[in-house]
Amino acid sequence: MTYRFLPDVALADIAFEAESGSVDGLFETCGLAITDIMVDPKTLRTTTQRKLSLRSENLDRLLYDFMTELIVMKDVDSLLFGEFRVRVSPAGTSLEVVAKGERIDRERHRLRNDVKAVTMHLFGVRHEGKTWRTTVVLDI
Amino acid sequence: MPANPAIKQVSDVTWEIPPSYKQGMNVPARLYASKKLLDNMDSGVIEQVTNVACLPGIVRYSYAMADAHWGYGFPIGGVAAFDTEKGVISPGGVGFDVNCGMRLIRTNLRFPEVKPKIRELVDLIFDLVPAGVGVKGSQNFTQSQMGDITSMGVKWCAEHDLAWEDDPQHVEEGGFIRGADISKVSRQAISRGISQFGTLGSGNHYLEIQVVDPERYLDRDMAREFGIVHDDQIMVMIHCGSRGFGHQVCTDYLRNFESGMRRFGIEVRDRDLACLPFSSKDGQDYYSAMVCAANFAFVNRQIIVNKVRDAFSRVFHRDAEALDMHLIYDVCHNVAKVETHAYDGAKAKVLVHRKGATRSFGPGHPDVPAPYRKIGQPVIIGGSMETGSYLLVGTQKAMEETFGSTAHGSGRTMSRTAAKKEVRGAELQRKMLDHGIYVKAATMDGLAEEAGMAYKDISEVVETMDRAGVSKKVAALRPIGNIKG
Repeated sequence: MTYRFLPDVALADIAFEAESGSVDGLFETCGLAITDIMVDPKTLRTTTQRKLSLRSENLDRLLYDFMTELIVMKDVDSLLFGEFRVRVSPAGTSLEVVAKGERIDRERHRLRNDVKAVTMHLFGVRHEGKTWRTTVVLDI
Repeated sequence: MPANPAIKQVSDVTWEIPPSYKQGMNVPARLYASKKLLDNMDSGVIEQVTNVACLPGIVRYSYAMADAHWGYGFPIGGVAAFDTEKGVISPGGVGFDVNCGMRLIRTNLRFPEVKPKIRELVDLIFDLVPAGVGVKGSQNFTQSQMGDITSMGVKWCAEHDLAWEDDPQHVEEGGFIRGADISKVSRQAISRGISQFGTLGSGNHYLEIQVVDPERYLDRDMAREFGIVHDDQIMVMIHCGSRGFGHQVCTDYLRNFESGMRRFGIEVRDRDLACLPFSSKDGQDYYSAMVCAANFAFVNRQIIVNKVRDAFSRVFHRDAEALDMHLIYDVCHNVAKVETHAYDGAKAKVLVHRKGATRSFGPGHPDVPAPYRKIGQPVIIGGSMETGSYLLVGTQKAMEETFGSTAHGSGRTMSRTAAKKEVRGAELQRKMLDHGIYVKAATMDGLAEEAGMAYKDISEVVETMDRAGVSKKVAALRPIGNIKG
């Protein structure tokens, strides 16, 4: 499970590419990448747990909606997550996730950029051999 | 960008690309740029401005202003007007941050009295106006109020003692755009936004204490019309938008638009140009939700103004009225609005998309507030935190040529990652202090990403639009204090 930032993809925003050997792992990796953009993960504890269920029309949408939900929880509940356990249905149209993190603490967390939205630019889930990949551009 | 033979020079700052350039173009593309800006413009702008020209119902031109750079679908700095019956509406032509915009407030303070207190003032405003990841404001509105707030904007604020009586008329559209419908906004968007009133956000958003900069430019006669009467007068500029509310509106509707396009048989050259007929139910629903977000942003900037007035009052021991802290103006630079324009020999309602572009209405226009009607609408163009900004005025030429539009800012030339590699936030902060600018930022990384070298030369952009005649310079404004998210 890895992600790397793509500095030349978007001038005003932040882009990353994520890959994993499993579709579950791809979702988890994307979650970690988004967190890494918003906070130094080393300063984030995993003392709070949230369970989430999502349904979408296809796998692309499911990943898009999952990442959007993380952004919503950041704004509504001030939550950032450092650990994810995702289970995507075989059809790729639903998922269950257990996310662990904590509420934003401005004294202790080394905060970074505020992610505001997932764009559709270059977005899509790709299954290439044994590897699942995606490119994500986030509006900052 | 390498020389492109398809780009024809029309004047020293105006260029056109004919419809023959790309199959499907319904109108030519028109770019406003000096030769220098054009040579340095990324090639993505040409691709995008000509893609926009292919959209159904577009009229006259697909425009790129002097600060244009690559965006999602539309270029940032893009303007496109559409027939309201036959044309489309596109969230990509508005941007995620609906009504990201600029507000300029004057004071009667002068540089010598503010300079010794700048640190105290900036530190206080930093405390009063939250900025950064996941911040929440101190203004608590209820869910039941959100309908009225997002429908009536600054007018609602004035009715609830959250704005001065003359504030609404000094905001574009009188402080609220008509056509809002909160029932078209998702629960998620409302939940994201309800606790964010009075917050600055992050990225390229800022709040700046500025001083008039006559060495760079000052038209004293025109400036006096806007209440600028001293060469060293202090201003406050706010740059922010509709926060999570607007972003979620865009996210929600982009979803709908992609599937809707299949139903209407619309194909676009770029997925980010997702669009639907403006006259369709989905198109109208997006418009109503987008207008809610636009009015949210007007209110957000109003709440911030209240805090700024409070901060100045506390630091200078006079109330904000005594400090003459009236609004000069507030402009949107990410919005789509129905406006009446004359083109092709007739007047018609068109849906004008301005994405990283500013309205620039000329003298005599009924939508220009009465105090400014004989001279034209104030235009506020923000530069980087190191280079300063400009106050300009709209023109009749803008009405004739660009659907009353001009540029909005400098435009980025370098990615955030590249900027952070070139400069460290703490060093930049020290350097700016050496140059007389006290900056307080939520994060040092965020500060580095917004370094002046990551942006085009604002003066070149403003000069270009002045030479084009679509917005005329009034005053250059130099930063002396800055708050960044």
